[in-house]
Amino acid sequence: MSDYPLPQVLDFLKKVAPFNTLGPDVLQDIVSRAEIAFYPRGEMLIRMGEKSGGHLFVIQTGCARVTITDESNEEILVDMRGEGEFFGALSLLKGHEALFNVCVEEDLIVFLIPRDVIKSILNANDAFKRYFDSALARNFKAVRESADHKRSLYTPENKLDIDMFLTGKRVSELMAGDVLTCGLKTTAQQAARKMKQRRVGSIVVTGDTGGPAGIVTDADLRSKIIADGLSLQTPVHEIMSAPVCTISPRAYTFDALLEMSRFRLSHLVVIENERAVGIICEQDFQIEIGSSPVGMIDDIDKSTSVNSLVGLRPKIDRVLEMAMRRSGSVRPMVALFAELNERVAKRFIHLNEREMADEGHGYPPVPYCWLAMGSEGRQEQTLLTDQDNALLYQDVPDGEDDQVKDWFLRLSRRVVDALDRYGIPRCTGGIMAGNPQWCMRAGDWEKIFTGWISDPTPFALRMATIFFDFRGIAGQLEDAAGLRMKLNGMTSGSKYFIRQLAKNALINKPPLGFIRQFVVEKSGEHENELNLKLKGLTPVVDAARVLALESGITTTNTMERLEAIADKGIIEPGFLSEVDDAYDFINFIRISHHLRSRSRGDFMNNFIDPALLNNLQRKWLKESFAIVSRLQEKLSIRYQTKV
Amino acid sequence: MFYFLVAWLQNHLLRLHLKNRPVSPVGRENLRALDHLSLFQPARSYSYVVVDLETTGLEVKTDRVLSIGAFRIKSGRIRMGDMFNIFVNPERDIPSAAIKVHGIVPDMVKNAATAGKALDEFLMFLGHDIMVAHQAAFDLAFINRIMSEHHGFELQNMVVDTVPLCQQVILPQFYTPMRRHKRLFAGRFGHIPMQKNDQHSLDHIANHLGIQIYQRHTALGDALAAAMIFQRALSRMEKAGQGKLVHLVNAGAL
Repeated sequence: MSDYPLPQVLDFLKKVAPFNTLGPDVLQDIVSRAEIAFYPRGEMLIRMGEKSGGHLFVIQTGCARVTITDESNEEILVDMRGEGEFFGALSLLKGHEALFNVCVEEDLIVFLIPRDVIKSILNANDAFKRYFDSALARNFKAVRESADHKRSLYTPENKLDIDMFLTGKRVSELMAGDVLTCGLKTTAQQAARKMKQRRVGSIVVTGDTGGPAGIVTDADLRSKIIADGLSLQTPVHEIMSAPVCTISPRAYTFDALLEMSRFRLSHLVVIENERAVGIICEQDFQIEIGSSPVGMIDDIDKSTSVNSLVGLRPKIDRVLEMAMRRSGSVRPMVALFAELNERVAKRFIHLNEREMADEGHGYPPVPYCWLAMGSEGRQEQTLLTDQDNALLYQDVPDGEDDQVKDWFLRLSRRVVDALDRYGIPRCTGGIMAGNPQWCMRAGDWEKIFTGWISDPTPFALRMATIFFDFRGIAGQLEDAAGLRMKLNGMTSGSKYFIRQLAKNALINKPPLGFIRQFVVEKSGEHENELNLKLKGLTPVVDAARVLALESGITTTNTMERLEAIADKGIIEPGFLSEVDDAYDFINFIRISHHLRSRSRGDFMNNFIDPALLNNLQRKWLKESFAIVSRLQEKLSIRYQTKV
Repeated sequence: MFYFLVAWLQNHLLRLHLKNRPVSPVGRENLRALDHLSLFQPARSYSYVVVDLETTGLEVKTDRVLSIGAFRIKSGRIRMGDMFNIFVNPERDIPSAAIKVHGIVPDMVKNAATAGKALDEFLMFLGHDIMVAHQAAFDLAFINRIMSEHHGFELQNMVVDTVPLCQQVILPQFYTPMRRHKRLFAGRFGHIPMQKNDQHSLDHIANHLGIQIYQRHTALGDALAAAMIFQRALSRMEKAGQGKLVHLVNAGAL
């Protein structure tokens, strides 16, 4: 057929993304195989769980409402689609049941484009495919987010009712309203009486403007009035905790819990329009769920022996698992993970230091700093992690070094051993503070870093990828910060090293083939599986490290690094959020895989068989890998690694 | 329903009459156009061809067809690739008033098919489908004239006019009642009493229903708009529980 006789119809389609990327010939072909349908307001076009009718719906006129139905048969609005937008793609292309209901909101005139037409274009046109993929990804995300508003869509093998509680509720449902307040000048005794009368454990101190200025809790009264022997007439503003940590009544209880865990607070004041409208405290959670990350942290920090801390592991795991099970972004989960692991490590160091003193080995001869490396340094550990740590102590003269080093090695070995017993296995590569090679003076660290940077051998580069993510977690944190500053000075001046590091970062390619099929392992134990960590996450981590070291960024967390890099204008914010999504999704699949393995009692690993994913997950995983590839392309161009 | 019976009766009388006379294959096929229709089947289950003509003017006797455009509707959906679009050589001049409307100049049609040939092609496209047009009496009159000239009888297909459909099922409150021209009289008197009433125009109705006309005053563009109007009417009737062919016949058949 020559030109389509109604070019205006083509013009309409040309304005619809992603059809705008297609040439006139393809558009003509689409139009001549399309149909126009009319659906009156109120008609249900697609029902959740039904198979696709075999068409993509492109709206020419009117408006459609996209919803999901939850278990209680309530409709949750996901999206509205209007002119020039499409729907029905998900079930059409994936062949599975529709994830949404689509209902006509205003009389609809739609172009129906048959499945095989769309499929043949997808195969032939990359830009078109990319758009579709990301649109599908957005859809999928929308489902997850909408589901969050109610409860998780599915919780397979979910035994903890904790999930429901956390995902479902908002702060306003759990908080105690009718906040007990007092003025700044109230005395401690008056405040205590008020609290007793109302049988509550805290009182909000309101400032001159009426907003919350601080909070006084039972603990404050105990520690400040009774223990420190202050007068009962002390005005509350002298003993209150200020400023108060606040949260919106519309926030999810889970976020409140996270906030409390991270800052170790027992109370959060719920504010709206700068007025205290409620208070939410640890007990509120404990009443509902028995234990909480907050309580967990207390248990960690208060454990008095290595053995008792080791014994906490199952409980900590349960809390972590509960957190991971919450469908949604994995980022806050990983943060909580890192937080708990770090506290455990800190506590082990503290306990061992004390035990050494008790056993007559004395106190640390000079200030030191315990360094976390690798994923721990980046605060990115998951259930499957091993120890990567080192120790730095302040410079001592060469003559005294042997003795000093001995003391620190003794401490380190005890800590490493304790961590191992706790369930964080030793590093097979020996990168642990108990190894004399990685327990040394600040000056020695500087020397060894300089060596790697000036002579980036493959070994040096491999070490750099682990050590240059170091972060001080216990002891003299300033020393670690000092070393970081020096390192950044060295790396940002060394173009050659950075380029070598960039080349190194491009070795692990996302497992996507030329025609965007998965490239699985060809042999070995994991034949036909994908290495999610090495091929999916590591490239992002490596790229972020290179860019951060080049531009003097001091943070070690991959996403924080990338955000700082975007702030410097090196990558566009839009691309940053794509990378964020991709990284998050790969990690989500990986961690779900870990949880599944563990609940079956299998060994956890980072290998996943793509055949076990559902179509949508496969699709989205491919899209995520494609984004990682694009990040690598950018890196390759920036450092001209192909030249 | 009465009109359908009349048409059916006429069709069978005609078939008897032509039994032993030579009729072209296209013509013979057209004689069977009503056979598959059953009044109590859902209207949506039939195929429709929505047609629009551009002509040199409004007089059936003297004016000639310039182009024919049509889309097919199946299962209530307009099939964008299933269309008919042809220029016709009028074998006469085109008044400038007409050119102003549709933009068809003599050069565009001087090498086009003759009316008889174009009609046969159209008949082959139409098959036994129900023909739909906006103000169908006008288009039907022109088709019937060519039909009579070349085949000796008039178009046998069932014909539905979208104007009375709109009046009854889409916008009853919107219209003053219009006198219906029945098929029996269409074109018989050489002159189609065109309602110069603006509210029956394609533009007006399309605009009211929020239907975009892709190319006004081309046979194909107008046919598409008419198809979308017909589609809307069909949907409305179904919603009102009037989804059978008989309802459509009662509401809009010529």
